[in-house]
Formats: sequence, C-alpha cells, structure tokens
Amino acid sequence: MLVDKERSEAYVPEQRYPLALSSAMPDVWELWRRAKTLEWDPQVDIPWEELHPERYSADQLLAAQMYWSRRTWGEYGAISESPALLLRFCLERRLPDLQFFFTMRTMEEGRHAEASWLMAERLGRYFPQPQNPPTAGAVGTHGVRRMAFDPETSLEGVFASLVCAAEEILIDVFKATVHKATNPAVRRLMELILRDEVRHIAFGWQCLDAWAPSFTPETVRSMEAAVVTMIENVEFRGYRNLWLAIEGGSATPAEIDADRISCEAGLGGNTPEDEMAVFPEFLKKLRKRMAPWGVRIPMFDHPRLGQV
Amino acid sequence: MSETHEHAARLLSAYQAQEKRFVERRFPLRFAPEVPALRELYSQAKGFRWNPETDIPWSRFEPERYTKDTREAARRTWSRRAWGIYPGLTESTALLIRFCLESGGLGMDSKLFLSFRPAEEAKHLEVCHMLAERLGGYEPDPGDAGLARASNHPFAQAALDPDLPVEAYIAALGAVDDQLDLNLHLSHLQHAKDDVVRTALRLIAGDRQRHVTFAWTLLGSRVPALDASARAAVVETVNEMLSSVILGGYRNTWLLPEASREPWLHAEEQTARAGLGASTAAQERSVLRATLAQVRERFTVWKLDLAPLKHPDLGTV
Repeated sequence: MLVDKERSEAYVPEQRYPLALSSAMPDVWELWRRAKTLEWDPQVDIPWEELHPERYSADQLLAAQMYWSRRTWGEYGAISESPALLLRFCLERRLPDLQFFFTMRTMEEGRHAEASWLMAERLGRYFPQPQNPPTAGAVGTHGVRRMAFDPETSLEGVFASLVCAAEEILIDVFKATVHKATNPAVRRLMELILRDEVRHIAFGWQCLDAWAPSFTPETVRSMEAAVVTMIENVEFRGYRNLWLAIEGGSATPAEIDADRISCEAGLGGNTPEDEMAVFPEFLKKLRKRMAPWGVRIPMFDHPRLGQV
Repeated sequence: MSETHEHAARLLSAYQAQEKRFVERRFPLRFAPEVPALRELYSQAKGFRWNPETDIPWSRFEPERYTKDTREAARRTWSRRAWGIYPGLTESTALLIRFCLESGGLGMDSKLFLSFRPAEEAKHLEVCHMLAERLGGYEPDPGDAGLARASNHPFAQAALDPDLPVEAYIAALGAVDDQLDLNLHLSHLQHAKDDVVRTALRLIAGDRQRHVTFAWTLLGSRVPALDASARAAVVETVNEMLSSVILGGYRNTWLLPEASREPWLHAEEQTARAGLGASTAAQERSVLRATLAQVRERFTVWKLDLAPLKHPDLGTV
C-alpha cells in the first residue's frame, strides 16, 4: 500500500534537493536559537505548591477551571492545526529558518496546552468540552489547518491573520492582565506562556517584513481578507473570550462570566473592561503595523466594543 | 506560475484532499493519560532536552587533526545523514495531525509526544549540518538521481492517508525504519573515537531511542485490538518498507544501486576508519541482520508474520 501508492504517484512525488540547511534569515534563526535555551516543563517549572486552591471560593474556582479549560482547548488548536504550516513550509521549500523555528513552536504550544490543562486540574477540575455543544464551533477551531493546506490561500494571509493578528491580541491581553494574577503559580504560568508567545509573534512579523518587498496587490488583498475573517469569524465568535462573541447564544452565562470572575480572583483571565481597553488598541496597532505594506484593515462594529 | 510553485501547489492540494477525508471530532477533549508509558515518554522528552549549540563541546572539535581526504569523507557522510533525518520533520508533523484528525479528543499521550518530535528531529538535523560545516561544508544535493530517489519518499503524505491504518504506518516507519536508524546510530557511536562526535551521536541516539520506544509501545497498546484487515495492512506495509525501501538503500549506502553508491560508500568507510561517526559496510550489514531478526521476533509475539526477504548480496534474511 505504502510503496504501491508511491510508485503509482497516488502520493505526489516530493522534490527535496538541493536541501538547504544554512540560515538565510538571521532574525528568525535567532528566535530558533533562543527557543532552544528557554525550554521549560509545566510539571516542574510552575510553583504548584503555591497554588493553594483551598483559599478560593467555589465560584472563583469554577470560573478559573472554566477559563483554564478553554485556554487548553485553544492551545490544543496549535497542536492540531498550526503544525500544518510547518508542512507547508517544507512542501513549498521555504527557507530553513522557518522550518527550524516552527518545530519549536509546535513543541511550545504542546507545552502550553499541557500547562493549561494542569492548571485547570489542580484548581479542581478540567472541563473537556463546552457546556453547550454549539459553543464547540466557536471555541474549537480557528481554521488554520484548512488554510495552510489550501494552495489558493496565500501564506502571507495566514501569517497576517493567524500568526500575527491572533497571536498579537492574545499577548496584548496577557501583557495587560498578567499583573492581576496575584496567585504565584498562575502568574508564573502566564509569564512562561507569554515569553514563548512573544517569540511566536516576532516570528510572524519578521517573516512578513522580509516578504513585504514581494507583496503584490493580490497578496495585500488576501492579507486584508484574512485579517477581517479572523476578527469577525474567530475573535468575534468568542474563540479567545466568549464575552466577545457577537452571537454568544449557546455559551452559558457562567462560561461568559468565567474570565471576569477568575481574573478578579487573581487566577488568570481578563474582564470586559480589559477587553474594551485592549482590543481597540490592538486594532489600532495592527492597522499601523500593516499600513506600510498597503494593507488596510476596516473599522468593525461590535455590540459591546462599539465601532473599533 | 513557476514550475516549483506549481509542484508545491500540487503537493498542497494532495494534502488538502487527504485532510478533507477526515472528520475531526474535537470534543470532549481529554488530557488525562490513557497509556501511562506513552505519557512517560513525553515526560522524558521534556526532561532530557538538550541544545546542539551548547551541549556538544564544539570548542574541543579539531577537524585539522584529520587529513583533508578524511574531512572530505566525513563532511559527505554527515551531509548524507542530514538528508536521512530531514524527512522526520514532515513525517512526524503529519503523523501528529493524523492523530488529531483521527482520534478526536482521545490519544493525548501520543499527541503530546509527537508535538515534541519535530523539534527533536530539527536538533538532530542541526547537529549533522554543524558537523558537516566544520568538516569542510555541508553538501545540499546528492548529485545523483539514484541516491536522490532512494532517500526521498513521500511518507508524510502516507501519514495522512486514511486508507493506511495509522498502526501500519507506525509499524513501518517507527518500529522498522526508526529501529534500524537507531541501531545504526548506536553502531556509529560504538565505533566513533572523536569525543565531540561521540557526544553528538549519544545525544541523537538518546532521542531516537525514545522515538522507537514510542512506536513499539503504541503498537503494543493497539495491535491486539486490530481486526484482520488492519493486521494484514500492518504486515503488508512493513513488508513493503523492508523490501522496497530499506533494501533499496534508504538507510544503508551499500544497499543502493551500484551506480549510486560512490562517492558516498567510500566516504562512509573512511569516516568509520577515522572514528568520525560512521560504520563500515560490514558493520552495517550485521546491524541490519540483527535489526531484522529483532523486528521479526517482536512482530511474532503479536502473531504478525513478516515474509522472508531475498536480496542478491544478503541472501534470504
């Protein structure tokens, strides 16, 4: 079966040679180098003995369990979906820097998923699924695998929307709220995740900066469309925070409120006020960052954020 | 559109078509260990992390101690080894995606383990590249169609092929090919005399031991429950892997078509003699025979009988 399909070319033959391995993007290579020196283990590098779940009320624990469970589902997407980008880099024979770095990214996302699951567990309970099944569609996938395997979807579009924009809002919210995590174990975990994510976002911007001179009008349009799709169909569906879901009908009130309660307890998460402060700033930054490439991000109407 | 872009688009379309044949059911998404031995391998991967740049004492590597011919041979050998490691980036990544697509919210032990493996393969690749560079320069192209063909198989696509049971894939790639690759690395380590090269091989072999253990452990947890058709697919796939890929020279230069063996075979002999991280053809022949016996024996435990292999040089193995 294996070789038969290869011989009959049911599997498309790959062209691998010449196989370049030398760095050609020093900034990206530096990220790969740094990633190797900053590995950590969720089991041993979090001060779990300082978590003390017994110090929190049942409501606070439930909210934090929900928050960290949803983070687990989100991080899992980076195991299940984003690795498709590494395949695309290899199949398109992109520079080795991209390939090397992305292997570490996959590893790091696996670590984040495990760490988020552990946090939920040690706070009392990990929820393996949303309370109402339809919410699974909103929080379950951001669709990067399908985009990565689609030759009609430009790699630049995937980078602009998911490697840059989606990661940027994630770390903006983390940066803006990490100080509210008064629990030492939670705070350390957020700091470690943030440290990795800063590299991931740097990777995205460095690649787009490097590719920018070759952007065609078509590329720019595909980037604009991809970013708009990400904002409207991923962020505004509640993938990262259910409070942002424009049609959050299937999420329960407890799920929607979990981020706020958890945040106020110092157990991670963020409040609607945080989102209202961070999200518009994130969009402004995104517009400014992409403007030199000719990428124009429109204004969005959101029932709670207003026009952003 | 250039020819390269067209080809990449064809490849992506093939992956896309395969991916669409799966229906991923992500929830309920379970994280608790299901096969503790696999979770332990993941824990070991986290604990035994290393860095090619800092954990190998490069400052003590003195290529000038070796003759120009020896350096030339060793750079070729380590270049060829890099070509053999590179496919691991895509194969293990495709396998991770397959697990996610197929097992839905289950199988987290394997997924976490596989989330680490591409980075480990990348580290091994970096070591090969660093050694080749220090020995005179990495060679990016075999420059021979026969060797290019033998060392370039679309196994990452096979990992995402729903017609191929994942157990058959892991049996062929993990239990057979990875096992042979590990045993060859251990042979190279046994015969290496240069301390820096020995450190490099020891670190690589440590990771690869885990990769092989993963394959056998996963098969041990699944093969007993396979139906007759899946068991037949395992045997057929392993037989194909052995007869057409391994005996075709995928891992062993002396098994390549005669016209494609040089200058690589001579380079490996010279590298082995100098203790720079290779084995002679005779040593590799022993490793291959022992590996085949080992693999056959382990499959027999599950009542999976592999066909005898006939080869003009090796006879029936």
